[in-house]
Amino acid sequence: MHYESPIREPLVLNDKTYSQITEDIAAPIEGRANKHWWTLFIISLATFLWGMGCIAYTVGEGIGVWGLNKTVNWAWDITNFVWWVGIGHAGTLISAVLLLFRQKWRMSINRSAEAMTIFAVVQAGLFPIIHMGRPWLAYYVLPLPNQFGSLWVNFNSPLLWDVFAISTYLSVSLVFWYMGLIPDFAMIRDRAKTGKATQKIYQILSFGWSGKAKHWQRFELISLVLAGLATPLVLSVHTIVSMDFATSVIPGWHTTIFPPYFVAGAIFSGFAMVQTLLLVMRKVIPGLQSYITIQHIELMNIVIMVTGSIVGVAYITELFIAYYSGVEYEQYAFLNRATGPYAWAYWCMMSCNVFSPQFMWFKKLRTSIAFTFIISIIVNIGMWFERFVIIVTSLHRDYLPSSWSMFSPSFVDVSIFIGTIGFFFVLFLLYSRTFPVIAQAELKSIVKSSGSQYKKDRKDEH
Amino acid sequence: MAKEKIYFQSMHELENNSILKEHAEKEFVNEVSTNEFLGNEENLEGNSTSRRDFLKFLGFSTAAATIAACETPVQHAIPYVVKPEEVIPGIANWYASAYFDGHEYASVLVKTREGRPINIKGNTDAPYGSGLSPRIQGSVLSLYDSKRLTAPMKDGAATDWNSAMADVKTKLDQFAGSNEKVVFMTSTLISPSSKVLIEEFKAKYSNFEHVTYDAVSHSAMLEANALSFGKRVMPTYRFDKADVIVSLAADFLQDWTELDHRKQFAKGRNADTGMMSRHYQFESNMSLTGSNADFRHPVKASQQGMIAVAIYNAIAKKAGQPTLTVNLDSKLNAQIEKAANDLWKAKGKSLVVAGSSNVALQLVVNGINELLSNYGSTISISTASHLKQGDDAAVNALIKDMKGGKVAAIMMHQVNPMYTLANSADFAAGLKKVKLSVSFSGKADETASECQYILPNNHFFESWNDAMPIDGFYSLAQPTIAPLFDTKQWQDVFLAWMGSEMDFYSYIKNNWKANVLGLASWSSALHDGFFSSAVEATEMTFNADLNKYAQELKKEASSAKGTELTFYTKSGIGIGTHANNPWLQELPDPISRTTWDNYLTMSVADAKANGFANPMQSNGGVNGNLAKLSLNGAEVIVPVLIQPGQKAGTVGLAFGYGRMNEGKAADNVGVNAFPFYQNFSNTQYNVSVELVDGEHEFAMTQVASTMMGRDKIVRESTLEEFIANPKVSNAPMTLATHKGIQPLSKVTLWENHERDVHFWNLSIDLTKCTGCSACVVACHAENNVPVVGKEEVRKSRDMHWLRIDRYYSSDTTKENATADAGYEGVGGAMDMFLEMEIPSETPEVVFQPVMCQHCNNAPCETVCPVAATSHSMEGLNHMAYNRCIGTRYCANNCPYKVRRFNWFQYSDNNKFDFNMNDDLGKMVLNPDVVVRSRGVMEKCTMCVHMLQRAKLDAKKEGRQLKDGDALTACAAACDTGAMVFGDALDKDSNLSKVKEGPRSYFLLEEVGTNPSVVYQTKVRNK
Repeated sequence: MHYESPIREPLVLNDKTYSQITEDIAAPIEGRANKHWWTLFIISLATFLWGMGCIAYTVGEGIGVWGLNKTVNWAWDITNFVWWVGIGHAGTLISAVLLLFRQKWRMSINRSAEAMTIFAVVQAGLFPIIHMGRPWLAYYVLPLPNQFGSLWVNFNSPLLWDVFAISTYLSVSLVFWYMGLIPDFAMIRDRAKTGKATQKIYQILSFGWSGKAKHWQRFELISLVLAGLATPLVLSVHTIVSMDFATSVIPGWHTTIFPPYFVAGAIFSGFAMVQTLLLVMRKVIPGLQSYITIQHIELMNIVIMVTGSIVGVAYITELFIAYYSGVEYEQYAFLNRATGPYAWAYWCMMSCNVFSPQFMWFKKLRTSIAFTFIISIIVNIGMWFERFVIIVTSLHRDYLPSSWSMFSPSFVDVSIFIGTIGFFFVLFLLYSRTFPVIAQAELKSIVKSSGSQYKKDRKDEH
Repeated sequence: MAKEKIYFQSMHELENNSILKEHAEKEFVNEVSTNEFLGNEENLEGNSTSRRDFLKFLGFSTAAATIAACETPVQHAIPYVVKPEEVIPGIANWYASAYFDGHEYASVLVKTREGRPINIKGNTDAPYGSGLSPRIQGSVLSLYDSKRLTAPMKDGAATDWNSAMADVKTKLDQFAGSNEKVVFMTSTLISPSSKVLIEEFKAKYSNFEHVTYDAVSHSAMLEANALSFGKRVMPTYRFDKADVIVSLAADFLQDWTELDHRKQFAKGRNADTGMMSRHYQFESNMSLTGSNADFRHPVKASQQGMIAVAIYNAIAKKAGQPTLTVNLDSKLNAQIEKAANDLWKAKGKSLVVAGSSNVALQLVVNGINELLSNYGSTISISTASHLKQGDDAAVNALIKDMKGGKVAAIMMHQVNPMYTLANSADFAAGLKKVKLSVSFSGKADETASECQYILPNNHFFESWNDAMPIDGFYSLAQPTIAPLFDTKQWQDVFLAWMGSEMDFYSYIKNNWKANVLGLASWSSALHDGFFSSAVEATEMTFNADLNKYAQELKKEASSAKGTELTFYTKSGIGIGTHANNPWLQELPDPISRTTWDNYLTMSVADAKANGFANPMQSNGGVNGNLAKLSLNGAEVIVPVLIQPGQKAGTVGLAFGYGRMNEGKAADNVGVNAFPFYQNFSNTQYNVSVELVDGEHEFAMTQVASTMMGRDKIVRESTLEEFIANPKVSNAPMTLATHKGIQPLSKVTLWENHERDVHFWNLSIDLTKCTGCSACVVACHAENNVPVVGKEEVRKSRDMHWLRIDRYYSSDTTKENATADAGYEGVGGAMDMFLEMEIPSETPEVVFQPVMCQHCNNAPCETVCPVAATSHSMEGLNHMAYNRCIGTRYCANNCPYKVRRFNWFQYSDNNKFDFNMNDDLGKMVLNPDVVVRSRGVMEKCTMCVHMLQRAKLDAKKEGRQLKDGDALTACAAACDTGAMVFGDALDKDSNLSKVKEGPRSYFLLEEVGTNPSVVYQTKVRNK
């Protein structure tokens, strides 16, 4: 068995035994929902339905119901798209990259992080479709054989790369997530009363898992393979999303720094979102506090601090390169970002993304739950503004001053964004009540090495 | 008695009809075995059609019937039963015709498709009038105006022609009997045949009188010429022959007297040969003409007289003539001296013109031209212009007579005094006193709706007409469509009243044969649309005592108090005749770039002093404070727009807006300026402008004013610099690479396109472009560009495929914002850019038409995920609307921002109730160009359908395409020659020659887009 140094903090607190872990994790599924859950669910559902109504209105009337214009042809739609995709990244990073790096602390958070990934990608995937002028022809972006002769998609277009990147990302994440869920579903199935619908459903979902050694062996193998597959996606998806901008000719978009800068930003915002969700979950389901510990929170805060600083360096590099390039349009684009009509958005982005994570240098602050929660929200606001700044301030004043214009969102723009947040929470809340929110099978594998009771026992032995 | 006949079908019937009779009674000859089928119960039971099957069939048929009912409604087109010989579906017919609406004249070619006029262009064969204004270009849409009257009206109710005409005739006869006065009030008439007709009518009815009324008066010039030469005429001018032009507020590039001035002006501004006129403009409003001037000096209207006198004296001194005995203001500035020097140097080849409605000023201007010997060279009195004949005195007398009850009947044609008269209340009172009022207006406008009878006139596309805009040039207008409604042209009505059997067509023909054509052929005149004859030059001597008038001007200059209001007309709306034309309402004013509005233009200084501002809103729309404008009882609340270049102490207001009951596009747009146009004076003194509560929302297509120091966008030089070094402002751009400094064209990531058939290029000469905007409307008409309305334009969603960017110069430039001047570091750069956004108070103006540049390395093409926009072998950037899914990435990635998105469904949508939302208005659509659906990107196609047509025509004729065969709508509409279109592979084409010239450059060349549109630098002669 893996041996862990006694000076390492235990990852499972409160002397949990195998059966207690099972109980704790099955509790939200087997028990009834509390008032908090219902309140959150109803609010989320209402905003989701309102957002859907606004999407229907957009599809019925035309994109004109948004605030876009001839100069600013993308604004909230693509901002939201990039924001949601970015949020998704933390899940993959936690479950795949940390798996490969054998970071055991990921085990209690990877399930929810990955659920978040999938739900976020679902939201993200909405926007490229509804932002189309004719969404009913969205299938044109797929390289489908057709009767139109040689009509084919344009492989030069970054938007097409997006189609492949996002769909690959969604499918790999989904499979990876599901694979991990199988033993846990089987656990629920086994606990359910015979003949009950619950048992039948989880029976189907668990694919006949019986916990044989052969099953475990294959499970481990496939996890490793999928982790290997998913790891490059962490880098590739946001790289490709950043190319929507980087391959263009618009000053402020045409920037080679974008791929690494976007990936860092994505991980940054993703971890912030994981923090937000887990802190809420920990509060609503107190049983999880033994598994999602201050140590987890602190580790994630360190990731946020590091990626936030990378993003900060990228911002400053952009400014320097604009100055150094000698291109008047580029210089003006960045000066305009910082001092023009949307300077408030720029400085909002700067303070949220660059300054606020620096507080995490202080141990006291990064281990404070309340402070972490506030910062996690601020970071996500900041990251939304980052995309808004990149998209809108670059477009609204580009080459020819004659076409300069401004953008102001309509109520539909705002409603659809809020609607996707509602949609996301509807999915997440349903998930928290029906899925084992912690990968208990995996977690049990480290109880003996990292569980508080066992660590204490070993210490006493010595 | 006749034997009853028997008809039979066969011999059997005749011989043995009993069997046949029996058979005939039955449906089938043989017995049908129904029993075998239905009687066999066993068989029926064994049949597999169960109740469930029955329900399935029932369900299917119900569903099928429902689905069938969901079919899109079919609109049946009815084909010709007998096809007219000259109409070939899909092929356009062009008819030579003439346009005159009482204000503007043009010799035109009318394009008809399947019998519908859908477009017009200038008749370039005609020696006169081939240039179109935006209004004439757009007039094709007014044919399909849904507010046109469909039948004659009597007291507001529809009636029929016979009874209406009979009624009026009875009354006319009655007035003739009692010898009571009958007045026919018209706008300027230039139709020689109509004039003969009126004379004949006068001969028949001795009580008949003809009064000519121009809404915007040019009486002052006519009077001045009467005083100078003893003949009340408007001379013709030759701006192309003038080396120096001084204009005192004459907007001669737009609405002064004749449209042809624009073409002449451009002809005289040839930078490449160095033969370029120099143009001084002294004016208070920023006019289109002023914005094209080499030297523009904002002056108050009241001071223009003194400037004229100063120029007169300066020249008289040089000519050794007595100067005018007027004590001049010592502040005669150097610019007047400079202008006078230039004029004197170009003696006999110069031109001084004035737009004032002050006779004294016009007389002094005549005096200057006389001193400069311009009569006979750049001004011709003997070849007179007939476009402005209005007589203000006669109109005033008429109103007095009407009020005095001395007029029994008034008939009106092409005038709208209730709208255009400052004292329309007096006219209304008079109208109540006349016994008979008849309007020939095609629409129930402000005046017609007050008349007892409206006998709706045909649209000019439906009428026969002739015209003599200037001496020696005659033209014919022919109908290109049968009257759409129950309308008649007024001349036919007059002929009927005179008891003539003739129609006006025959009348014109007879008149032409007798008085115009001489020995020439009528058919060829009709085919060509015009006929020219020589004009005898007559000697006229200038004879006027200018001293007296100089004193008058001195008095005016010193007595003028308060804020001065000067009127102007906009290129789109003019005096409001076409106010219900949505194309023209949406046409941005070339100077202010504002659509769907008029407003008080105010100087920067006055706005600051009185608290007026134009704050930009978060959606990019500009708002304006409201002002209460009042003068002698006239009062209106009008929004204020700050206009760089406006002289402090003056304000400007455009005519043509504030129409009522004119139609959905015209009503409640802007305010009516005519109530302030008192005494037919185009400048009013001592008007009160008061800031009042409230804000107005403007809809502008461009909100930034300046080029922000990006002076490579419009490259400019002076003529002197250009002659010394033709590449002065146009040095080839280079890039530093690892191989050393390379020209831009060598540094590319792209492979070259093979070009072996055609390579369509468009050259735009910024020196010749006056910003007139005719091309914008031509593009609208040719390409079915939708009108989106004020709200959408305000949201920066205008759909113009072709726009004319306007930039003002700024006082802060990159050259003067140096570190020494205090612009240091990042803070200095910030200050510099903020200041550069603000235009100079007396800016220089440049216009730059921008449409899709058809880049050969197009940024839009690479980013479209579905390859909906792609490159053609002929250098065009194509747009496949069917394939477009509307991601708008192409528009974002377009450095020129020329792509336009269909944010909504703009046709058949009640929210966009313009011409594409009614059946009549849709008749103007060009069948060669698809109407785009919502969610689709569109943009300039370089009129690819016209290029294809030209190629097919050449192919059919088995020849090579000639230079000039293929044209775009904008290039065809450009009468100044600023736009040259052609094949760059054809080395002999005009385009190739221009493209090789030293002034050629590409817009945003440094982006590496390699466009197919090439610009020629702007050269000013200063």
